[in-house]
Amino acid sequence: MAEIAGTLNVNISRKELRLLEQRDLTGRDKLIRRIVVFLPAVFVLLHILEHLYVPSFKSYKPSTAYVALLVAFLGALVIWDVFTFFSYEAFEKLRFKSALYVAIVIILTMYDVATIKVGLLALPYFPWIGKILDAMISDRSKLWECIYHSFKLLFTGYFCGVGIGLLCGILAGWSKTVHYWIQPITRVLGAIPSTTYMPIVMMLASSLFGGAAFIIGLGVWFPVTVSAMNGVQNVQKHYYEAAETLGTKRLGILSRVVIPASMPTIFTGLTQGMSIACLTLVVAEMMGVEAGLGWYINWQKGWGDFTKMYGAIILICLTFILVNSILGLIRKRVLRWQDGGI
Amino acid sequence: MAVGNVEIKDVTKIFRRSDEQETLTALDHINLSVAPGEFVSIVGASGCGKSTLLRIIAGLEKPTLGEAVCDGDVITGTSEKRGLVFQNHALFPWLTVWDNVLFGLKSTGRVSEKTDLAEQLLDQVGLTKFKKSYPNQLSGGMSQRVALARALATEPDVLLLDEPLGALDAFTRMNIQDALIDLWKTREKTMILITHDVDEAIYLSQRVIIMSPRPGRVIETLNIDLPYPRNRSDSNFTYYRNYILEKLDFAQKGGEIEYVI
Repeated sequence: MAEIAGTLNVNISRKELRLLEQRDLTGRDKLIRRIVVFLPAVFVLLHILEHLYVPSFKSYKPSTAYVALLVAFLGALVIWDVFTFFSYEAFEKLRFKSALYVAIVIILTMYDVATIKVGLLALPYFPWIGKILDAMISDRSKLWECIYHSFKLLFTGYFCGVGIGLLCGILAGWSKTVHYWIQPITRVLGAIPSTTYMPIVMMLASSLFGGAAFIIGLGVWFPVTVSAMNGVQNVQKHYYEAAETLGTKRLGILSRVVIPASMPTIFTGLTQGMSIACLTLVVAEMMGVEAGLGWYINWQKGWGDFTKMYGAIILICLTFILVNSILGLIRKRVLRWQDGGI
Repeated sequence: MAVGNVEIKDVTKIFRRSDEQETLTALDHINLSVAPGEFVSIVGASGCGKSTLLRIIAGLEKPTLGEAVCDGDVITGTSEKRGLVFQNHALFPWLTVWDNVLFGLKSTGRVSEKTDLAEQLLDQVGLTKFKKSYPNQLSGGMSQRVALARALATEPDVLLLDEPLGALDAFTRMNIQDALIDLWKTREKTMILITHDVDEAIYLSQRVIIMSPRPGRVIETLNIDLPYPRNRSDSNFTYYRNYILEKLDFAQKGGEIEYVI
């Protein structure tokens, strides 16, 4: 390695620089780094073998769907492992994720053993994951319908809340008169969770969907309004002055300076609003709306079918994770100008 | 007729202090005339009201008494005819370098006709390569170059520079000083520069206005009769520097200046 440093001096490629920076790694270190990358795949394989071949408790049966899912995960890990030989980035990323993946697989294995293999955690309260998957697959048409309903309600409520919230917040930050009227409303409504009004709204609303959307919208409206208002009020003075001396008129300053400058603050409100919307959605579906995943959870619980209930809970978690990561991606895209400072 | 003439007629600016009953006189009966295409610097210690004076010309502040006139019209508000470059560059961080430069043109609806000019300006400040970068990715000096291109893109008659190089290191500062002279010569704009750097004022301008603080007054107007490009170690340059420093009460009074090297 010393000769690389000696001959190439400063004009070295990224790869050479990396070798140079890793010159203290011994052969043993490198071997361990390699092994670490392969560990997740090994553990997944062990889990599959355990699920299939360790004898089950009573007449419990291993699930084909679960094995298929694990095999897919194993396949992805193997492909990734192959990639690590060609791409250093892939290697480092998998090395970083390795411990987390191994931990997850160990927890899955332990749960699998405790339920289906030993019967320590017994049915009907603790179905093994394969059983939950099978139940989800058998009831899929109903579940799709529920997901569709939940999404429809979530987005209707969320976007109405965001739309009105942005309008109120931006105008309240921009104009003193609007601020005078909006500020007291946010003070009063902001302190109370919108779910409090659920019984009244459900009683008065002509449609349950409309009522629930209103409650979600109200919950979203508050953080969006407050964040937009703060964002607009905190736009630095020199941005206004720069725009003015460049000949920008009042409306242009609002749309081309004030709104983009408040975007970082607005996005904190949008994210906060989304978690409130998710929360309110579940409460609304469990309390009144007769559709959607929240309703399905309650319904299955009523029938004592805990396996299906778990399935819907898993689905609702995945849905919310998906929605929040999409919002995160949008945020990253819109605020891309914030990265890469010197 | 040449445009870019600025007249300051008996301007006084008094600020109200929010915490106290007192008022603060920032500018006391200032009279100043800047000819079209002239490069004028205003120097003075902090608190002499030089920035306030510039902000009055920009239209960001209103004088308490007197009036500021640009090309025969009393200044009542901001205009793209009087560009302003700030000390902290004030680029819009959410826009790329290129969109920052085009910002004023979009405001005045002249984007289509003036893209060439914007390209030229960006090239002249040496940042064509960074067209698609965001201001966060630029150094202080590069940002200030973009700010210059942005202010000039709307083709102002007067360019107001509010300590634009104040926050930069010495080498970057000298580089941008040369860029400024180049822009002034090629674009033929009236330039009014606020600075606390005496060398910068002498290096760049045809005329230096020296102000004293509390209340802000013009104590002297000095013509710099040196050809461009100027040499910072030239004896005349040194003479001007000592003269101005003495006026500002910074130079050693009496006796020779000692060089301890």
